[in-house]
Amino acid sequence: MDDRMVKFVAALRAAGVRISLAESQDAFAAIQAVGVMDRRRFRAALQTTLVKDRADRPAFDTLFPVYFGSGPRAMPSAEDQLTPEQIDLLRSALATLADELREMLERMLDGQGFSQQELDQAAERAGLSRARSMADQGWLARRMAQQLGLAQLMADIQMLLNQMAMVGTNPQDRADVQAFLEAGLANLQEQVQRQAGISLAERMRETVPQQLDDRPLMDIPFQNLSPDEIDRLKHEVSRLAARLRTRAALRQKRGKGRRLDPKSTLRANLRHGNVPFVLVHRVRRKKAHFTLICDVSTSMRPVVSFLLLLMYQVQAQVGRTRSFAFIDHMEDISQAFDGQRPELAVPEVLLRLPPGHYNTNLGRSLEGFFRDQLGGVDHRTTVIICGDGRNNYNPPRADLVGQLARKAHRLVWFNPEPPAYWGTGDSDMPAYAPRVHAVFQVANLRQLTRAVDQLFL
Amino acid sequence: MRMSFPSPEDLGRSLGEQQYIASDDITTVLYLAHGLGKPVLAEGPAGVGKTELAKAWAGATGRELIRLQCYEGLDETKALYEWEYAKQMLYSQLLRDKLNSLLADTHSLAEAADRIASEEDAFFSMRFLLARPLLKAILSEEPALLLIDEIDRADAEFEAFLLEVLSDFQVTVPEIGTLTAKHHPLVVLTSNNTRELSEALKRRCLYLFIDYPDLETELAVVRLRVPDLDLATARQAVELVHRLRQLDLRKSPGISETLDWARALVHLNAKSIDRETLQHTLTVLLKYDRDVQLARRALQRDADRRRQTEAERRARVLPPDDPGRETNSDG
Repeated sequence: MDDRMVKFVAALRAAGVRISLAESQDAFAAIQAVGVMDRRRFRAALQTTLVKDRADRPAFDTLFPVYFGSGPRAMPSAEDQLTPEQIDLLRSALATLADELREMLERMLDGQGFSQQELDQAAERAGLSRARSMADQGWLARRMAQQLGLAQLMADIQMLLNQMAMVGTNPQDRADVQAFLEAGLANLQEQVQRQAGISLAERMRETVPQQLDDRPLMDIPFQNLSPDEIDRLKHEVSRLAARLRTRAALRQKRGKGRRLDPKSTLRANLRHGNVPFVLVHRVRRKKAHFTLICDVSTSMRPVVSFLLLLMYQVQAQVGRTRSFAFIDHMEDISQAFDGQRPELAVPEVLLRLPPGHYNTNLGRSLEGFFRDQLGGVDHRTTVIICGDGRNNYNPPRADLVGQLARKAHRLVWFNPEPPAYWGTGDSDMPAYAPRVHAVFQVANLRQLTRAVDQLFL
Repeated sequence: MRMSFPSPEDLGRSLGEQQYIASDDITTVLYLAHGLGKPVLAEGPAGVGKTELAKAWAGATGRELIRLQCYEGLDETKALYEWEYAKQMLYSQLLRDKLNSLLADTHSLAEAADRIASEEDAFFSMRFLLARPLLKAILSEEPALLLIDEIDRADAEFEAFLLEVLSDFQVTVPEIGTLTAKHHPLVVLTSNNTRELSEALKRRCLYLFIDYPDLETELAVVRLRVPDLDLATARQAVELVHRLRQLDLRKSPGISETLDWARALVHLNAKSIDRETLQHTLTVLLKYDRDVQLARRALQRDADRRRQTEAERRARVLPPDDPGRETNSDG
């Protein structure tokens, strides 16, 4: 039992469930307390001690039956189920079959299933090494059944019954024998299914660890991420956003700018004879407004999608966010985020603005912005321009950036390129950089998170 | 008072006596929490009876329920303890004469200060300590049950502070010393999952996810809590609530809403739920205008469809073009 528990915990860990040592100890203690007799309680005890997140439930639900399935049910042996005459009948019918299958059926008569070795070999031959996840259990089981000859066995059982009919066995005996054989077959199939699950879980446990380690993922430059890695990172973004939110909230609450509120302090201390025991501070709820201006040309897309994702997930700490996208002209993309979850809105926006043969032109885009949207920028707005500053030798209009910086509370620039590249080729960064309040390099998620965190200072 | 239960089944029965119908999962977790001395973290949508569970558990174990409602900005002075300044003030005013006599024979300021300092204990004693829920649960003479409601609404820093208290059930008050719990209270934390709780907190708790119950369970709850509603109407009501939960609502109705609604139906003396009753009482179940509109449309669609299939069924029995002929030929 203990051994199975340890393996089960390891398999859960491999499936991405975080289980500490203390928790697995709790699980052992819990089982001591409820016992193993009642399966539902046993399951509930494991679940409550090991699974602390609803998202981990599916992993638990697939692995639990694998490790603590109904157990290798004792194969019904022939003596319990059939009369001696029926057994003799069956044995004589068996004599007509090929050796290998006869052996298997005879074992079934004695109430035995496959041996562990047979099962392991079958799993190996069935292509266990190619299995990728627990979802492959059905596939593996089918292939193992094939390897073990279960399909052939089914056909043979049918043949056997036909033979018995031909020699004129009485129908009652035949029905009993059929029921016995079919139950035996079902048992074997279940055994295979279970073993497929165990082999898979075991394999996942051995191969998975490197997948769990997502630290370096934060440091991989956005453009080098594979689609698979991007998916995993997007998952990570929500966690980061939650962390940023609490940090920003805390900072808002006890920031340096906390000012004493004399009126409320007097009122609160009336009951202490106006001796100011309790100080009341003015709650400063000046939430920043953000205006995002994002370059959505091909090279900038990954960065921008992460930036948008992050910014819209920290909305609770923000008064209002408006966002614009440009390649050669400026487009307002704010509506896409109204009442829609950012995970869905971001791909939608990027799909609507496909990169094409036209050239990035921030200068012209800014002119458009100044013409139509400048009213939305005031002294509480923080403007973020996310772009690489490469304008295809179009006029950079750095003067407009300067004007924007003066009008806004703050203007910061997020650029994925390292400073060494600024000014090379068509980069206009040297013209823009001195006119904005700050430039952050955001080549990977770690840098991006740090930059966004700075916005809330 | 019952201190503990020999088996989860007994606990379940006892909860039943408190008018709480608990699933096997719930009784197992509570039984374990009692046995292992661990807090229970109950998560789930609003209104599925997380708080009720704590109350019923307190009732079943005969413990006093001490409740700490969390909210944004909750801090230690509201959760743990606070010095009762006003009382200290009042005492020092009233005891002025006494103080004067105490200090009468002192010659220097320093000597007077020392004298006062030696009497300091009188002013920083349990007498002036205002115990908030957490301290109350620790100091309680009788074993208690501490309910920390909606922990997800409190800040992350409060969570960290709570961890410390929950791990050893002792509190250090600088002026007095360390106070340790006489009896470990049972602890239930509830969360509506509006934010991710810290790993550390989850690790220390037994986790219990409570979801909306299935139809039969919910019906049993309604029958138990609102016995005046007849069975047919109750079933109709619960079925309707289950239908509503399938819709994409901003706030799905929980069990508490179902119970409110059932009570409303009893008050209105409704024998069955017809369209008019529903129109008037839907707002008991749904708390947003948008949800009400959505539900009305969906229920209307359901009714139309039912009417249509009903008509079709009737049409198969009696062809509508000439029903007279059929009856004639039969007769």
